[in-house]
Amino acid sequence: MKRVWAVLALVTILALVAACAAPTPQVIEKVVEKTVVVEKPVEKVVQATVVVEKPVEKVVQVTAAPANYGKVTILSTQANPVEEQEKMRGVVLKAFPGKPEFIGMEEPALIDRVLAEAKAGKGTADVLISLHGTYPTLLAANALLDLSDMVPNLKDRNIPEAFMKLGKLGTDKQYYIPVMQATYIMAANKKALQYLPAGANIDALTWEQLRDWGKNITEATKEKKLGFPASDRGLMHRFLQGYIYPSYTGGMVTGFKTKEAEAMWTFIKDLWQYVNPQATTYGFMQEQLLSEEVWVAFDHTARLVEAFKQKPNDFVAFPAPKGPKGLGFMPVIVGVAIPKTAPNPEGAKQMVRYLLQDEVQINILREIAFFPVTGVSYPGYVTVGIRMEGEAVSKQSASPDALPALLPVGLGAKGGEINKIYRDAFTRIVLKNEDIVKVLTEEGANLQKLLDETGAPCWPPDPASTAACQLK
Amino acid sequence: MTARPAPPLSRRLSRVLVYLAAILVALYILAPIYLIAVMAFSPRAVVYGYPKPLLPTQISLETISFFINSYGILDSVKNSVLVAVFTLVISLAIGAPAGYALARYIFPGGDIYRILILSTRAFPVVILSIPLITTYISWGLDDSALGVALLHTAMALPTTILVTSSIFVGVSKDLEEAAMTMGCTRAGAFRRVALPLALPGLAASAIFTFMLSWNEVFAAAILTLQNQTLPARLIVQLNQSPIPFRFAGGFFILVPAIVFMLFARRYLFSLWGVKLR
Repeated sequence: MKRVWAVLALVTILALVAACAAPTPQVIEKVVEKTVVVEKPVEKVVQATVVVEKPVEKVVQVTAAPANYGKVTILSTQANPVEEQEKMRGVVLKAFPGKPEFIGMEEPALIDRVLAEAKAGKGTADVLISLHGTYPTLLAANALLDLSDMVPNLKDRNIPEAFMKLGKLGTDKQYYIPVMQATYIMAANKKALQYLPAGANIDALTWEQLRDWGKNITEATKEKKLGFPASDRGLMHRFLQGYIYPSYTGGMVTGFKTKEAEAMWTFIKDLWQYVNPQATTYGFMQEQLLSEEVWVAFDHTARLVEAFKQKPNDFVAFPAPKGPKGLGFMPVIVGVAIPKTAPNPEGAKQMVRYLLQDEVQINILREIAFFPVTGVSYPGYVTVGIRMEGEAVSKQSASPDALPALLPVGLGAKGGEINKIYRDAFTRIVLKNEDIVKVLTEEGANLQKLLDETGAPCWPPDPASTAACQLK
Repeated sequence: MTARPAPPLSRRLSRVLVYLAAILVALYILAPIYLIAVMAFSPRAVVYGYPKPLLPTQISLETISFFINSYGILDSVKNSVLVAVFTLVISLAIGAPAGYALARYIFPGGDIYRILILSTRAFPVVILSIPLITTYISWGLDDSALGVALLHTAMALPTTILVTSSIFVGVSKDLEEAAMTMGCTRAGAFRRVALPLALPGLAASAIFTFMLSWNEVFAAAILTLQNQTLPARLIVQLNQSPIPFRFAGGFFILVPAIVFMLFARRYLFSLWGVKLR
């Protein structure tokens, strides 16, 4: 008996050793580092040419180390999955003239860490990469460096003014700079295309046509093949806030309990008959698309990309459907900020400029599927899968009746509560079959209370207000 | 007439039931581990497939080797082991004497002391996180294995103290007194008599401490940046990773624990008084 256990243990250890024996990326990294050292003598020459627009791209790429900005520690809530972290380190940050240290963190841990460093007056983090919603909390504790002096030099990057304005967090100073963006789109298995309702154009569907599509599939296959990420890990609340609400009511917040909203919820219940009942366990729709558990799905571009990358020939990407008020959609802005306690603020600022360079923006898209915020034209540089996503994203935002819905702004530390209100409304109305008017009245009261407490004025697509946003 | 009478049917039946229950319990633990292992060593296409196979059809080291070779994983294994060993040593060094004192001496407030020890577990680390990081930064303990080990020690001490005290209660006081009548000093009697007798139990308590530290995520995640422990690194990476990596990561964190348990199990059994042949 003992011998059996010993043999088992030995086998597991051997298996681990065998797995370790594969060539390591670290080794490759080291080799490349060495070549950079060899190129050093050229540094000075390149330094002079970096700013000037002489066409010496290739040389710049190889020896992009004009000065050494030292160690730059990046804390990021984005690009955290194993492969994406590897790509950030191995590709995206590689040409940075210094020693970047990329550390993935969950949002609460990142906030705790930055707040504690601000309190201690001594920090380790130089650069933060996170969603808009992280920063109001940090600003409230006075932990963010004012980056306004960087703005004039970034003019040539052509970052949309609306995005830059978000980075001011409602003040007149720039506290974060948008660095990449994403959004939510639809994806479908090509097997589903034959069931599209007659006369429907996949690039300009209505929500009703999506429902009919699901109905056709269910009738033909006896399976429910529509999918939404409705688990705790999923981003279902964004579907409600940024897509279906604006499409039906023209806004995210003000129309919360209107007659239009009642009609919308009746429609969602109708639609839900053709959604796979397992949807309440779905977090990343790429998984169910790849396993063909669902054929048509809504999700974040970064949570669909694996399907397009692995089987570009099996899937199509298309814009979200539209409703009576237009095509509601939600752009997601990722911003980069510098804590006041950054040990290397010069290196940190250089990192911000570096991330906004054209090549780096394209690398970010290519490697981790976040889209550029700068005016760079990328289609020639990316694989088929990402290009398909990119086309759907462009079609979505370029749609004549597009209604861009911003992530909730001005709720400060209570940013998470608004998500709960929308999700609760969904759970109660659609999953528990409660009365629509009753639920909307109750959850609407919660929403109004939240808005009053924070004093948040309306944000797009709701019409602007001066005082706290009011529900109709 | 040497054949023993067969045991009554009811006893045979109950023995069958006991074995059946044991098999069920074993399956309850082993089946998920088995499935994780199969998926960890399958190519991605198979992992994404539906339904997933119960037997390994194709073996592929692709995911697991990518995972193991990804930045910082091996370093964080090293950190995890360091932290666990530090925790084990410090908590035994502090906890065993305290446990011995609780077992051997009757002193005023002894009972309240026992309860006070446990009450340290009543403070959730979550609400302490910001003050903790701030303090660690000013003490220079931030982002170090020793720092995490100190916090893990604080979490492990209550169990260590209570377990060691019950172990020393089980070591007869008479033996120590006998040793002292034969010329041993107090310390000598402890070292030559009580300690060797308590050793298996102490080892078992050490294993619990080791496991607690090995599996702890939250404190390790907030107190470290570059020098993350394995669970701290995994929690960030795997939460958002595609399924193949979650299987690979799950397998990777299981294996050291299982190997450790295999070697430690005879001591673990002695904690419950089970003698292994």
